[in-house]
Amino acid sequence: MKLPKLREVAEAVSALVHRPYTSSFPRVPHVANPKFRGQPKYDPDQCVGCLACEQVCPVEALGHRDEVSGGGGRRVLIHYSDTCIFCGCCEAACIADHRGIRLSTDWDLAFFDRKTESFETIEKELTLCESCGTVIACRDHLRWIAERLGELAFSSPTLYQSRLAALGIVDANIVAALRDQGRSDRMKILCARCRRQATLTTA
Amino acid sequence: MGHNRRARQGGVMGKTVISIGPFHPLQEEPELFTLTVEGEKVVGIDLHLGYNHRGIEKLSESKTFDQSTFVIERICGICSTSHPFAYTRAVEDVIGVEEPERARYIRTIIAEGERIHSHLLWVGLAGHFLGYNTVYMWVWKLREEILDVMEMLSGNRNNYAMFKPGGVRRDIDPDVIPVALRKIDGILPTLDMLRKAILDDPVLHARLKGVGVLTREEAIAWCAVGPTSRASGVARDVRKDSPYAAYDRVPWKMITAQEGDVFAKAVVRIMELYESVAIVKECLKSLPGGPIDLDLKGVPPGEGIGVHEAPRGEVFHYVRSDGTNRPVRHKVRAPSFMNIPTCTSTVVGESISDASIILASVDPCYCCTERLAVRTPEGRRLYTGPDLVRLSQEQTRRLRKEMGL
Repeated sequence: MKLPKLREVAEAVSALVHRPYTSSFPRVPHVANPKFRGQPKYDPDQCVGCLACEQVCPVEALGHRDEVSGGGGRRVLIHYSDTCIFCGCCEAACIADHRGIRLSTDWDLAFFDRKTESFETIEKELTLCESCGTVIACRDHLRWIAERLGELAFSSPTLYQSRLAALGIVDANIVAALRDQGRSDRMKILCARCRRQATLTTA
Repeated sequence: MGHNRRARQGGVMGKTVISIGPFHPLQEEPELFTLTVEGEKVVGIDLHLGYNHRGIEKLSESKTFDQSTFVIERICGICSTSHPFAYTRAVEDVIGVEEPERARYIRTIIAEGERIHSHLLWVGLAGHFLGYNTVYMWVWKLREEILDVMEMLSGNRNNYAMFKPGGVRRDIDPDVIPVALRKIDGILPTLDMLRKAILDDPVLHARLKGVGVLTREEAIAWCAVGPTSRASGVARDVRKDSPYAAYDRVPWKMITAQEGDVFAKAVVRIMELYESVAIVKECLKSLPGGPIDLDLKGVPPGEGIGVHEAPRGEVFHYVRSDGTNRPVRHKVRAPSFMNIPTCTSTVVGESISDASIILASVDPCYCCTERLAVRTPEGRRLYTGPDLVRLSQEQTRRLRKEMGL
């Protein structure tokens, strides 16, 4: 009984001849498993700026800021990597075939300055109401809706004007200069409130 | 053997109060054990729960049903899938639906993978407490393999984010299954060796047998759950008693022991490892096709109960819905809440060097034992947490010498 048991000796010897089980990090960088859920990353080309991801995020790691100036606007979509729990809800909820925001295998999230390095942003162009100038939605989002609806989009001037602009049939930057409160308002890209007003009050 | 140890203490000594705890942020339930000792013998234990209240239930009530799973997942780091399992079952109970067949299997795989790594963690730490640091290192090496498998299957080593009311969030990629099976099989030879080494070791027999005995009657009286009760001969396991997920679709058997001592608890956990490995392998091999999610729309008013056999025992969730998209009441009862009070029966009468392993034998979070501090009634510090671990390890060494090994 005083002798060490053979099976443990066998394991000890095999541990002795094998290289260490631990990796040589940080000398050898760690490559995550392709299945690893890491930092979500925006794809600016696929994202339509609909904010579905922001709605479902359980930890409010996603936010946005609408910046309107001089007749144009842009939406800044923000992902806070210090808050994120990498659950993948944003990817699952993404309306753009789950490609607007995707989990990457990026796990190395250390940074020095929380004020400048703890988040990632992308910018999307906004469509503003041609009558009152408030934000309607991202330009790509309206185009996405119009594409999904197909010819049904022609029931809404906001949608078909967006679609025609996207196709290059009308000038994308044309904004009706005058707020004429007349029937012609109905053919403009309007926010919900102005649409209601134009429909109800113009004869 | 216990007699020898107690005889050595001898002499007349004043009573000393030892505080174990009160809390560590990683614990499921922070706790403070106040041991009263005479010399080395524990004569009384007092238990306080309720430190570090995080307001998880309230937080859950402010999230939607879907988002709540992520809050619930963070109740405990080790059994991070047991709470969502019970919670999603509670929500499904409110609606009156059951998850699809493929989701049942995936849920079972994740839950059993968690049990494997949780039990391995316990075995490793128990080894460390007893002064068997080789066991500690070797077992944790095996645990790494299981965590790698979990990363392949779910995308993360812990906090799998797989569960959602009505199914699972992610499917298991068929390409991953052979790799995962190979990795799981890979740990079996070393696990076999360790099982034999641990269960044959005469020192461990001497050190753990008859220590911290929880009798069958006490286990029932304290409502002990999980391995703590099964080691005392109470054959209760939610997975067998009211089967859910795929537990009635794959063959496995409930492990029980009769002795109720620390050794029996270790045996139950080690043997459960094999059952869990068998369940995971069987589920991976016979994974059925079909949808993984019911795509639930809304939760009607009502109440529901969800239970799951977590690595530490039965975890219980109660959810009440008023028809909105948030639970109006969410009640959680974790298994350690039932198991920790059994120390009243098990620690009293034992020596202080056994206290840490007995308290650890119900598998609460070990971090609490790291925070041990022994003080005299005047407040003089006698032992710190590491000191008590050292005491426990020295006890093993002493035994080994006595036995001439």
